[in-house]
Amino acid sequence: MTKKPKPTSKIAAIPLLSEVLTRPVIFVSGKGGVGKSVVTQAIALALSRKGRRTLWVELEDPLKPRGQLSKIAPKLWRLNCDAEMSFEEYALLKIGDSPLARMFIDNKLMRYLAKAAPGIHELVLLGKIWHESSRYESVVVDMPSTGHGLALFQSTKNYATLFRGGPIHEDAEEMILTFADSGKTGHVIVALPEEMPLRESLDLDQFLMEIFPKNRATFVVNRTFPKTGVPANIPADPTNWPSPLAENPLDYLNRRVLLEEHNLRIWRDQELSFAEFGYVSPAEAHTSAAIAEVLSEQLVTGGHL
Amino acid sequence: MNANVDADMKANSIDEILKRRRIIITCGTGGVGKTTVSAALAMRAAQLGKRAAVITIDPARRLATSLGLTELSETPVDLTRNLREAMPSHKIDGTFSALMPNAKANFDDFVKELSASKTIAEQIARNPLFQIFTKEFSGTNEYMALERLQALDLTGQFDCIILDTPPSRNALAFLNAPKLVAELFEERLIRWLVLPANRLLSAGMRKALGILEKLTGAGFMTNLLDFASTLFSVRVQFLANFEKTTRLLQSEAVGFIMVTTPTPEAAPDVHHFVRTLQEHRFHFEGLTINRTIGYLFKSTSKPNQATSPGLPVLEGIRKREEQAMRALSSGNIRICAMLPELARDIHSVEDLLYVANAFETHHAQ
Repeated sequence: MTKKPKPTSKIAAIPLLSEVLTRPVIFVSGKGGVGKSVVTQAIALALSRKGRRTLWVELEDPLKPRGQLSKIAPKLWRLNCDAEMSFEEYALLKIGDSPLARMFIDNKLMRYLAKAAPGIHELVLLGKIWHESSRYESVVVDMPSTGHGLALFQSTKNYATLFRGGPIHEDAEEMILTFADSGKTGHVIVALPEEMPLRESLDLDQFLMEIFPKNRATFVVNRTFPKTGVPANIPADPTNWPSPLAENPLDYLNRRVLLEEHNLRIWRDQELSFAEFGYVSPAEAHTSAAIAEVLSEQLVTGGHL
Repeated sequence: MNANVDADMKANSIDEILKRRRIIITCGTGGVGKTTVSAALAMRAAQLGKRAAVITIDPARRLATSLGLTELSETPVDLTRNLREAMPSHKIDGTFSALMPNAKANFDDFVKELSASKTIAEQIARNPLFQIFTKEFSGTNEYMALERLQALDLTGQFDCIILDTPPSRNALAFLNAPKLVAELFEERLIRWLVLPANRLLSAGMRKALGILEKLTGAGFMTNLLDFASTLFSVRVQFLANFEKTTRLLQSEAVGFIMVTTPTPEAAPDVHHFVRTLQEHRFHFEGLTINRTIGYLFKSTSKPNQATSPGLPVLEGIRKREEQAMRALSSGNIRICAMLPELARDIHSVEDLLYVANAFETHHAQ
């Protein structure tokens, strides 16, 4: 790709998904309900099948045992990262294992700090990911879907004001350099071809750009319907339809095609590049593992891997 | 007790619920359309003649976009005129307002309000931990939403308030949030930090703090102590507020509605949520299932023989929806409304009205 000299050339261009997937650490972000987790799983699965030793990271999934690491396929491991346990690990690494160190870690206040203290909790989780990245060829992280996902990176902005001097300060600095480096870390934002999720993904992009100005995220638009021709009597701009309801299945599909085209055209006009994942029919696959399987094939057939 | 549960389980339409409760709290995971449902509930209430308001603590400003509001507002904005213009043929006796408070400003304000002195307020403004805390501590958004609700209720301006809970990974986060915040104010914890005498008593704590200081640098400890002592100073007032909030939530004035999408995977979450509500002794009103496509297949419009490559996907979604209905309603969980999937994004008050009207026409059972 040639770079156009623009007044805004300080902003890095959106990289291709295929390029981002070659990076050692990949953060997958997105709002709730967009299928972020299953996309993360698909990416991890596809990378491991390409022969890369891969770690798929979930952050404090309450439904899985804390800190559990399990091998789920050849070359693929899954970790349910837990702040309290990672804090313990980090502290022992830094101060050495001793009765005093154990007392420090078992202290109720320290446990509370790791679990909930603003700044510490997030840094500890990111620190664990950073630490693990040296043991795998690819680490794919399922970021929390709420505001806390942003908070995770926000903590990297705050650390300097919070921790002046000390090992945490130094480690955080090095860690952030890794996450800001487009050679080492990739950021993927998952959206749906609907107005609100697309808009929210742009907000996410804006936020990430503020923190990592030289490491732009790439976009994935998930669950797009098959593109078909549409009868000319339906206006192309959905805001011109008399009603937001569809009349029957076929009418819904026609309108859906127009809606997606309308929403994504705005994106293309702004030169926002993105990869698309087709809607996996629940009849074809209904567990997240089965959907991830189909999506990981789409990654290959789509030329992203 | 059993009789109560039975009464609780009797199916109600949204209209009946709106008539019965002064406050409705909508819960659900992110992405299910909670904000849309909340706004539509307030609209429906206005149609029923209520003075209705919807509160959404919403950094993403979703409600704003659908309502055509341009910015966050700390005070209710009256949108009744927009509603009347959108449906000129209907007579609207009630009113319809919306509030979108900024969560960050609120927690600061809240602690400042609780603290009697100016010095404490200044400490808050200066301390970076407070700045981060208000944005990041899981629980503050949820807790502040309840504070807002209570304050608005006390004004007596509204006889129907819909609280759209902040987006979260699971619906229970909202119920657990006040407890998490309360834990922060827990006496023993803060006492250790702020009372020098106690610190002298506990050699272990002193050593732990020493190690923490080595790891984090001196600045952090100063800020942490400052943060803890500020919280300590407002602790008593906070706990009194907390108790008041819990009492309100348990009262007959408040009902909870859970919003979900029609997927079978949502069922365990829903069942867990309803159980937890009952443990808290809160009133569960029913499940609102959003974005259902079943209506498309029941349509009376002329069946079209044409086909489309999207049809298998839609058929699959329909089958999943049917499974979901069975899974969701098992265990006596009642469904109070089913809302249609719209063919376009919600842009306007008019679009929201289609959702509000669906409370009537798509009422299940």
